[in-house]
Amino acid sequence: MLALLAAAPASAEEDRAALMRAHRGGTMRLLAHSAAGTIDPQVNYTAQFWQMFSMAYDGLLAFRKVPGPGGNEIVGDLAEAVPAPTDGGLIWLFRLRPGIRFSNGAPVRPADVAASFRRLFRVSSPTADSFYGAIQGAGACLRAPAGCALEGVTADDAAGTVTIRLSRPDPEFAKKLALPHASVLPDTAPDADAGTVPLPGTGAYRIDHYDPGDSLRLVRNPHFREWSVDAQPDGFPDAIDYDFGLEEEAEITAIQNGQADWTFDAPPADRLAELGARYADQVHLNPAYAMWFLPLNTRLPPFDDVRVRRALNLAVDRRAVVKLFGGARLATEACQVLPPGLPGYQPYCPYPLDLPRAQRLVAESGTAGQTVTLVIDGSPVARAIGTYMLDVLRDLGFVPRLRSLSSNVQFTYIQNTNNQVQASLTTWYADYASAGNFLGGIFGCSAFRPGSDASPNISGFCDPALDVRLQAALADPQGGAELAAIDRIVTDQAPAVVLFNPSYIDVVSARVGHVGYHEQFRWLVGQSWVQ
Amino acid sequence: MITRLLRSLLVMFGISVLVFLIFFATPGADPAARLAGRGASAEALAAVRHEYGLDRSLPVQYGLLMHRLFIAGDLTSQVNRGQRVVPAVLRAAPVTLSLAAGAAVVWLLAGLAIGLVAAAREGSVWDRAVTALGLVGISIPVFWLGEVVNLLTQSRLHDTWAFRWVPPLGYVPLFQDPAGWARGLLLPWLTLALLYAGVYGRVLRSSLIEAYRQDYIRTARAKGISESRVVLRHALRNALVVVVALFGLDIGALIGGGTLLTEVVFGLRGIGKLTYDALQNLDLPVVMATVLYASFFVVLANAAVDAVQAALDPRQR
Repeated sequence: MLALLAAAPASAEEDRAALMRAHRGGTMRLLAHSAAGTIDPQVNYTAQFWQMFSMAYDGLLAFRKVPGPGGNEIVGDLAEAVPAPTDGGLIWLFRLRPGIRFSNGAPVRPADVAASFRRLFRVSSPTADSFYGAIQGAGACLRAPAGCALEGVTADDAAGTVTIRLSRPDPEFAKKLALPHASVLPDTAPDADAGTVPLPGTGAYRIDHYDPGDSLRLVRNPHFREWSVDAQPDGFPDAIDYDFGLEEEAEITAIQNGQADWTFDAPPADRLAELGARYADQVHLNPAYAMWFLPLNTRLPPFDDVRVRRALNLAVDRRAVVKLFGGARLATEACQVLPPGLPGYQPYCPYPLDLPRAQRLVAESGTAGQTVTLVIDGSPVARAIGTYMLDVLRDLGFVPRLRSLSSNVQFTYIQNTNNQVQASLTTWYADYASAGNFLGGIFGCSAFRPGSDASPNISGFCDPALDVRLQAALADPQGGAELAAIDRIVTDQAPAVVLFNPSYIDVVSARVGHVGYHEQFRWLVGQSWVQ
Repeated sequence: MITRLLRSLLVMFGISVLVFLIFFATPGADPAARLAGRGASAEALAAVRHEYGLDRSLPVQYGLLMHRLFIAGDLTSQVNRGQRVVPAVLRAAPVTLSLAAGAAVVWLLAGLAIGLVAAAREGSVWDRAVTALGLVGISIPVFWLGEVVNLLTQSRLHDTWAFRWVPPLGYVPLFQDPAGWARGLLLPWLTLALLYAGVYGRVLRSSLIEAYRQDYIRTARAKGISESRVVLRHALRNALVVVVALFGLDIGALIGGGTLLTEVVFGLRGIGKLTYDALQNLDLPVVMATVLYASFFVVLANAAVDAVQAALDPRQR
């Protein structure tokens, strides 16, 4: 038995070596409708480029690069292992692996790690506060980014160690260290957003060129030697070309023709039947930690009355909404905040379709006849759901209005309390698999910032006592039941109408093999082959 | 000449102010939160606001924008941070120029043929047939036609002998591969040209018919000049005055980005596509640059039209 266990990893390694010999090489050709902004891994906050960064940059820790649930496991990356924090979770001591080099040839030193954490604040990274605000000295760095010293991160080049001191324990700190914003860059990296100029990294690939109006190209990092197949595996293709500019319709056609291998964008709804019928082998569906929902402004009438919020929840036919999105294979009906698969998820739905009860609740509240404006973005799916919601609101006795804004403006518009948005339709995709990302990220008090375009708590729902309970539950490894309880409380308070949990649809060309879906970074591009 | 130049500058200044004001009147236009990233802290928002000068007064912001666009040349996008606007426009310009120039050749030749045939056989079946064809061309929206062309040539019939030669959507630079450049642009040229061929054919037909009724044509015929010479040297030359005026305005607008729909449908990253993306993202610096670029060409085309018309028609000198 023991011998068998010991033999297993060796044969996995041999398998992988054989696959590498057989399939290594070629160029993977990716498509997207448009680029995703800056190429600076410490600033860019998009799933589109995080997927690329996962192959080009490393932090102290990493998500294990395997398909399936194992992908949520945190492993040592530039650090040898995930340390057990000491002093009540406040002190984290990392020992760096020796011999790792950046793509420019320079060795990775503890000083680079410390400089990278300082840089995170100096470039005003969007998550500097929300993810890394627990590091000692973060407060001063947020107030004065230019001279940020961040005394909480100290490097010992001689010993090859980095120590991070926190001012408060953070149960999710290890995960946050595995995200691209915590990438380690050379200490020569500029203290400003790098924009379109790629920075050297340590990954299996390096970014060779980036032009947001044209393309992104990743090539093999000449200084890369695989140190951990879990943290940063070597890739199959020699290069990855990412072209921007085609419409979704044309992208799918290009993949069918073998002119491209994959698109970041979801296929248009009118192509789904054709894809399912003729290209089923090339379509990969994976549930995302995400939801489509209607935040209801709990600080404005009529949704300042919990009965009205519950009424709307009861009046929505979620099955119909899922159909509008593309059907049951692409989405799962939901009416609770936590999506399936996250810690604390226990199926719960207090809102079965019940129009008479909903109408009674509205009648009790005395709000019937009021005008309700729903703000949606201009995408076809949002328009379809928005139009359906008009009927629902009308059935409840409201005077409904629909307001459609450009997709790129709507998300910031609905966040700002100055815009007095009563209800809106939006999506939330988790930064990483965490219940806190949903319960705290969208419905926590700290996510509500009046008058700001960056106020993800669009509902304005805030229960300080619940926030305290949430922090305690997140810190507790056995906090699942408590998280489920909090999920039920928030769902009962109905600060939003949760509609469904969508799946990612990845359509690949016929030549792509070994497709694996990662829970954090979606399709592991470098782990698939083209020849 | 000087007054014309000053007038043009005034027009462009007015356009730029208008674009600027419309932008700030748009709900949700403040780019700070989009620049800073989802859920950014108040400090990060303030830092971005300061970095991009969004905390200054509107006239100062306008001045800074113009300075960075025309004098420093280092204006950057507010969506793709770090993307320089001027080089982006310069890189997109050849794509639009290739598309508009090639399509212009097609529609001028087709329009000329339609106009000449229809006018020479006025009232005949030929006249009606080409006029109807022209009408069809005018009536089909380019975005629909382009999608249908793509559906047939890229998807449904892509693997048949008829369309196997059609390359993937996109642009191949002329000097990198002239044959690939032409092959990739052929269908976009034809798609874009169809509309204009119909318009030009009809315009040319009516002005030729009008010219035939003029005294100088009767005189030319009385002198015994051959019919083809009468048509080409006398009638056509006069009829072209109208066509040239039309062409000048059309080509100016197209080079400036009027090819937007064709570019989007065929995946050509020209000025139109740049404008389209920037508008969708409310990317003020890029919108400003492309709008001013377009208005420059419209102004330039107007001047060129005047010069050519003077050459064609001595009365206008």
